[in-house]
Amino acid sequence: MNVVEIMTRKLETVDADAPIYDAIEKMIDKRIRSLLVKPKDDKDVHGVVTVRDIVNKALLKNLDLNKAKVRDIASKPLVCVDKDMDVEFAVNLMSKFNIARVFVNHGKEIIGIISLLDVLSAALIRRAREGHRV
Amino acid sequence: MFEKVLFGGKREQQVIEDIKRHIEILHAASGCFRKALAENDKQQLYCIADLEREADSIRREIISKVYEGAFLPYLRSNLVRFVEIVEGVFDLLKDAAYAFEFLDQTLDKEISGECVEIADKNLKMSELLLIAFETLFGKEDLREKTLAIRIYEKQVDEIKHDLIRKLSEKEVKNFWRGKMLSDFVDSLTRISNVIEDASDYLVIINVSLR
Repeated sequence: MNVVEIMTRKLETVDADAPIYDAIEKMIDKRIRSLLVKPKDDKDVHGVVTVRDIVNKALLKNLDLNKAKVRDIASKPLVCVDKDMDVEFAVNLMSKFNIARVFVNHGKEIIGIISLLDVLSAALIRRAREGHRV
Repeated sequence: MFEKVLFGGKREQQVIEDIKRHIEILHAASGCFRKALAENDKQQLYCIADLEREADSIRREIISKVYEGAFLPYLRSNLVRFVEIVEGVFDLLKDAAYAFEFLDQTLDKEISGECVEIADKNLKMSELLLIAFETLFGKEDLREKTLAIRIYEKQVDEIKHDLIRKLSEKEVKNFWRGKMLSDFVDSLTRISNVIEDASDYLVIINVSLR
């Protein structure tokens, strides 16, 4: 199974220069655990900010959430897999880097995200279908 | 011997085959709806009305056979209820197709992707419902099948959340277009709930068979 078959296409983004509070609001509103951080300019690259980053790098360090910027706590560069890669490869990558999600790219464009929960859901659906074909 | 008493007789087997056929038709209708939506081709919607009529006649046959004496009395109402829930999915499909047909334009680009994705998940859920029903009389674990259905339902719920947000940001320029679009999205997004209800009912039937 390729990652493109099970990835989430909806990508929520946040500006690198936005206050961390904006990122928190977006995560709460959209019920998601990570945001794609847009590059500042043509020379910059995408990043990611996760709930874990916010708790560990901002809340625990008593950063002012309205003043500190997303870029201060975001991780770069992104860990990406090509859309045609096997899911197993993505899972190995997550395990190797101890992360819960990887981004999916098609050429230079980021087209989706795949999380451990997506992998688990896909595995359970596949298991339920095994041996059956309508 | 016990299995034969519960569902191994000739009449029981006929009912089981009819229910399978009923769900297979649901799968075919869901596929037809998904195709019409993906290709934005309203001409293809005629198949839904045809399949719904066929399913309606099978439903009547199932209910007649059940009350003519197929299955032990305590199982009859549960089986009939299950068939009626599946019938509810046909009603929603028909309503969604009707609203789609009467939209004066095709679906807007901003929402068509989400709508096709929901129709696709509805199709996969109907396939899993058939698999789950077959599991009822086999040795596989029904829980695995109903869990897969619940996963799809949650995914549809998430897409629905986005879809409603996008719709709420759109300006309604014409009352009837707004109403038809709202009816369409409402029916489309309720299908997964009803399929999940049907799979929950299979769990009840499964418990009553033990």
